[in-house]
Amino acid sequence: MMRDDKTAQKGKETESGRYQRSVMPVLSLLFVCTVLFSFWVGYYPLTPGEVVKAFFFRFGYQGAVSDQAVTIFWSIRLPRILSAVLIGSALSVAGSVYQGMFRNPLVSPDILGVSSGASLGAAFAILNGVSGWRIQLAAFTGGILAVAFSYLISRKSAHSQTLSLVLTGSMIMALCNSGVTMIKYMSDPNDVLQQITFWLMGSLAKANMASVIWSLGPVLLGLAVILALRWRLNLLTLEDEEAQSLGVNVRRLRIVFIVASTLVSAAAVCLGGLIGWVGLMVPHMARALVGADYKRLIPACGLMGAAYLLLMDDLARSLLALEIPIGVVTSFMGAPFFVYLIIKRKDG
Amino acid sequence: MLLEIEDLRGGYGSGDVVKGITCQADAGEILCVLGPNGCGKTTLFRLLLGMLPATSGEVRLDGEATGGLEPKKRAKLAAYIPQNHATVFSYTVLELVVMGRAPHFSAMGAPGVRDRDLAVRALEKLGIAHLADKPYPALSGGQRQLVLIARAICQSAKILIMDEPAANLDYANRQLLMDVAAELARKGYCLVMSTHSPDNPFSVGHKVLMMKEGRLAAFGAPEAVITGETLEEVYGIPMDVVSLEDRFGVKRTLCLPVKAPGSSRNRKEEGHG
Repeated sequence: MMRDDKTAQKGKETESGRYQRSVMPVLSLLFVCTVLFSFWVGYYPLTPGEVVKAFFFRFGYQGAVSDQAVTIFWSIRLPRILSAVLIGSALSVAGSVYQGMFRNPLVSPDILGVSSGASLGAAFAILNGVSGWRIQLAAFTGGILAVAFSYLISRKSAHSQTLSLVLTGSMIMALCNSGVTMIKYMSDPNDVLQQITFWLMGSLAKANMASVIWSLGPVLLGLAVILALRWRLNLLTLEDEEAQSLGVNVRRLRIVFIVASTLVSAAAVCLGGLIGWVGLMVPHMARALVGADYKRLIPACGLMGAAYLLLMDDLARSLLALEIPIGVVTSFMGAPFFVYLIIKRKDG
Repeated sequence: MLLEIEDLRGGYGSGDVVKGITCQADAGEILCVLGPNGCGKTTLFRLLLGMLPATSGEVRLDGEATGGLEPKKRAKLAAYIPQNHATVFSYTVLELVVMGRAPHFSAMGAPGVRDRDLAVRALEKLGIAHLADKPYPALSGGQRQLVLIARAICQSAKILIMDEPAANLDYANRQLLMDVAAELARKGYCLVMSTHSPDNPFSVGHKVLMMKEGRLAAFGAPEAVITGETLEEVYGIPMDVVSLEDRFGVKRTLCLPVKAPGSSRNRKEEGHG
């Protein structure tokens, strides 16, 4: 940080440098506004004043605030907003990490099979009559195992590491998906099948404080590692040999990033099910704003991902009389964006 | 001696590709590596840069044996300049050049003011400071090559290893690149470059290493090493080495493939030709 401050004082500052430094405060402000807006959206709108009062009510504040507002704040809106923030930033950051690591701007965080593995884990748990946090634990384990298998099998391949990871990742994804289909086929359509389908759909409707707290650990741990090492991600976007010649232990660095982003995205999947396209779209929007350097890109992805998913959830809650699963909303937004990327842009 | 290679052997799983290379180069010298495709030039460079382990022999960078040398320490001694390439993401020139500072700080570090100053100075050294804020992928091939050289200078290594820097460049940019190489040598860098034009060493080279099938065919000063006989031995076609004066009266030496008038091909017949 100190080194950065000194740059700001220097006269040799470039035009783009000054612009990029002003982007982060704007993004933070945008994020805060989105959070307040999301408290307001819904059947019972909470004004920013009520939000503050309801928050401090828990800590002994004795002011004019209705019980209803307090309940809605603490048990409905807050867990939901926290889930959206965690999932949005987790998927976006993991997406940008994977895009850099695979040197491909069209990669999304489930490229090594984390979502498919998590789906299989959850479906298996539901089939066996497990409920509550155990489903989430099974999903988390499934996601981690899928990536671990992708990684371990890729090591046996003679192709370059990135190519073999993509290949084994899609193989694991296919296996897990057919596993899920098999379980769905075998399960009771009136009960278990419905549960599985709902779990996989990607929704924040069942968000609760317990699962938020539960996923906080892996998400924060993974994000902290990525944040600390983020400048080195730039080196992984170069050819392996080039990075090696710059003194980088490419394999070691890559596995650290794979572990960190797998932790983060597995926890996100457990919290909200399959929410696609966020991890692909947000890094692009962030790059357009702050440039390719991961030093700025990662924080920008975190803030923008959180704000983006909050807005998508606001849409999901308010667009129709009944709630639309958020996975459906993000896909409706993401798929056309993907087409736009393919047609319009030459690079990240 | 900045670079010493002693009876170096190494290759991939299936056997040695480089089979006993010995040569040296010092500060202020350009070592040109000549040889046909597949003679082991690239493998030799990989061995020098520690991307492949040597099966036997030794490489010493500034007197340090590279056997168990830490990657970061090696990166401070020798820098690699790849052929100009496009990056997937739109880094600015300055962002790309400052990546050369990677071996100089810890994994959690990021470039600071001093690093950025060094990057700007490296760009100034090559006369391309005005490109600092431009997106690297939008540059021409020649400019990209200069940027990659700037990154190597920013890396603060004294030995610069260039894999066919002139490939994919047009004629004027090729000349520019050779001028830059000569200037860097004058400033005390030790350059190792592979090249496909055997004339190159006469204008910029101080030493020539000729390779054939992984073995050392010849090593020494260009005038001593590059002759019609050695060229024919290495490339397999008859060649003449011609000296002439250019319009400024400077003596130039050129290598020309030759063939007897009337014959249709000049490649040496090799059984099934």
